[in-house]
Amino acid sequence: MVDIPQSIGGEPVTTRLAMKMEDSLQAFAVRAACFIGELDVPYSEEFDGHDFGATHIVAYVGEEPVGAVRMRWFQSFAMPERLAVIQRFRGHNIGQLLLERCRKLAESRGCTTMYVQALPGDVKYWEKLGWRRLVAEEPGAAPKRIVAMVRAVDPNKPLPEVEAPEAVLLRLEPQLDASGLPLGRVSN
Amino acid sequence: MALTTLATAMVEPVVTIKLASTSDELLQCYALRAAVFMGEQACPYWEEFDGNDYAASHIIMYVDGEPAGTMRLRWFQSFCKLERCVVLRRYRGLGVHHEINAWAKRFAQRKGYTRVYVHLQKRHLAMMEKEGFRRVDDRIFRFSDHEYYAVYCDLTPADNAVKLDTDPMVVNRPEDRLDETGILEKSVVRGATNPRAPHVARLRN
Repeated sequence: MVDIPQSIGGEPVTTRLAMKMEDSLQAFAVRAACFIGELDVPYSEEFDGHDFGATHIVAYVGEEPVGAVRMRWFQSFAMPERLAVIQRFRGHNIGQLLLERCRKLAESRGCTTMYVQALPGDVKYWEKLGWRRLVAEEPGAAPKRIVAMVRAVDPNKPLPEVEAPEAVLLRLEPQLDASGLPLGRVSN
Repeated sequence: MALTTLATAMVEPVVTIKLASTSDELLQCYALRAAVFMGEQACPYWEEFDGNDYAASHIIMYVDGEPAGTMRLRWFQSFCKLERCVVLRRYRGLGVHHEINAWAKRFAQRKGYTRVYVHLQKRHLAMMEKEGFRRVDDRIFRFSDHEYYAVYCDLTPADNAVKLDTDPMVVNRPEDRLDETGILEKSVVRGATNPRAPHVARLRN
């Protein structure tokens, strides 16, 4: 496992479940800074309609919001996504701290499996942290744009079988107005 | 012909500017500011979201339907302060910030203001001078890792500025649509029913 920071520059590193409007705004601001500001993701893709059906966790260094992650809940797995850490606070494993908070939250709700969609370049990093590919890599297969990965909530228990077609997961909930928002852009 | 139309459509972005009037539009303003100030300029969260957001008007600009720019306006007795103006990186170079500035000036004019005031990062002075802004004095001040000038621009008083004798129902309209009939004017058909009337009875009108 990696070292989880207790403090940075004398300021305590903490996480908080977003419970108030202001907390959520902090999560949104961190994501906007990273995904829209740094990575040029369009607003309508970043704020995709799932934010008000999800749980948000914010990481702080002192009082400063520096990281965020969004958790969506399905019957057979919990899904951390939109993991972001403000650039100048990277390199301290704050992302890991957020994911560990996700894991504990999933555990407290009786979930057994966590599921993420990783970029192909990040697969090795996730594997080092105890995640594995949902579907084994086929030699010679065309490169994927997104790799589905899973890990057990309790590392001492075996991972149950899960099915998670990502093209469906990325879609909007059907009751949402589809106009203006991209539908199921990512295919596997 | 069709090709020409297509080419024009591709180079001419559709720019829409309005007052942020819903929670979603406000979130769009905040997200754009976070993207530019926190993401690009490494501004700390608590400096960007400084406590004045709920004492201000917010403008949201869309380019081809996508949130692309924003500005915050605060209202003082002798001027309107334009601040927190951003254009998302991918929409820069189109000159759309001029449209935000122009919209903000017209908006302030309509509300009766004859002066707008800006704390301007030094690097933007030449650009804003072309828009008619002048330095207030020689002071240079510093906050959030940048050096600033105080600049202002005098506005021509608008003939249709809101004044004490403006039709009260015009004052009630959404502030960026003072020339359109507002929701409260539509309520007039209910007459001066008193607030103790049962809700259902009021709805029936």
